[in-house]
Amino acid sequence: MKSEAVLERDAPESGDTLKFGGREFRSRLIVGTGKFPDHRTMQQAHDASGAEMVTVAVRRVNLDRTQESLLDYIDPKRYALLPNTAGCYTAEEAINTAMLAREVGLSDMVKLEVIGDQRTLFPDNEELLKATKALVKEGFVVLPYTNDDPIMAKKLEDAGAAVVMPLAAPIGSGLGIRNPHNIRIILEAARVPIIVDAGVGTASDASVAMELGCDGVLMNTAIACAKDPIAMATAMRHAIIAGRLAYRAGRIPKKLYASASSPLEGLIE
Amino acid sequence: MKGSIDVELTVNGKRRTVTDNATIATLLEELQINPLRVAVQLNQQIIKRDLYERTPLRTGDVLEVITFMAGGAS
Repeated sequence: MKSEAVLERDAPESGDTLKFGGREFRSRLIVGTGKFPDHRTMQQAHDASGAEMVTVAVRRVNLDRTQESLLDYIDPKRYALLPNTAGCYTAEEAINTAMLAREVGLSDMVKLEVIGDQRTLFPDNEELLKATKALVKEGFVVLPYTNDDPIMAKKLEDAGAAVVMPLAAPIGSGLGIRNPHNIRIILEAARVPIIVDAGVGTASDASVAMELGCDGVLMNTAIACAKDPIAMATAMRHAIIAGRLAYRAGRIPKKLYASASSPLEGLIE
Repeated sequence: MKGSIDVELTVNGKRRTVTDNATIATLLEELQINPLRVAVQLNQQIIKRDLYERTPLRTGDVLEVITFMAGGAS
C-alpha cells in the first residue's frame, strides 16, 4: 500500500531518530508484553506497531508447569528488551530487580518503576530518585516512570536518567494526556528524551503526546486490551508518526475567528 | 547409601530436595530450565552464570530463579 510506504519512509529518511544510552531507534513507540490474549497475538501486534523496543516484567520462573517462554515470541535481533521493575514498592526491591534483569541478559536498560500505592499505581518519587541514583552508579541506562511533575523530571534528569517517562494518566486507565501543560513544561526544560508512559487510551492520545513534542510513547493496555490488538497497534504506529510529523511541521496558532482560505478577489457577482 | 544425603532448600518460595552433590547447574537441568534465560539469586546474592557449575547447594539455601515475563507496567 502506497500510503503505508510513505509513512514507513518519513521518519527514517529525515534522520529523525530517538537516541539515548548509546542506542538509536527509528520508531518512537515502545510496546509492552502484558495482557495480550496470547503470545501469538502479541507477536503480531508488536510487528504491526513498528516498535523496536518492548518492555518485559522480571519474575520468578514458574516451576510447577512448563510453559512457553515469552522470549520465544520476541526476536532479540529485531526488538531491544526493556526490562521493568513493575510491582516494586521500594528502591531496594527495584534495584534488586534491575540487577537480576541485567543478569538474565540482553539489556542494561531498565524501565524503573517504584510504585507508591496499589490503587493508583502512582510512583513513589522519593524511592524512585534513590533507585535512579543507585542504578546510574551501577552503569544502567535508567528510564524512570514518574508523575507529570516538572520538578521531579528535572531531579531525575540530574540524577543521570537517560530518559524521563512521565505518565499521561494512571497506568491502564486509558484517560489520555491529563495535563498537557505540565508535559510542555517538562519538555521545555528537558535535556534528555521525554517518553510518555502509561495512560494512553487510543490513537489520538498518542498523537497528542507527540504533537506536544514528546520523544516517544510507551503503551501496553491500549493495544493489548483493544478488541483487535493488531489493528490498534497499526493505528498507534500511524498516530505516533503523524503526531511527530505534525510537531515538526509546526502547527498554526489557534484563533477565535474564521480566516478564509480562499481569496476574496475574483468572486462571482 | 553413598552420595545420597539429601539437601533441603527453597527454590522460588517452595521446598525442594536435591542430592548432596547438586550445584546450581544441576538444579536448573533437573528443572528443565535454560540457564541462558534466567538469573539466579542464592541467599540474596546474584550468582554469575559462569559460576553455576561451581556453586554447590547446601541445606537451608534460598534460591530465586528469575526470568522475563509478559508485562508492561505495574
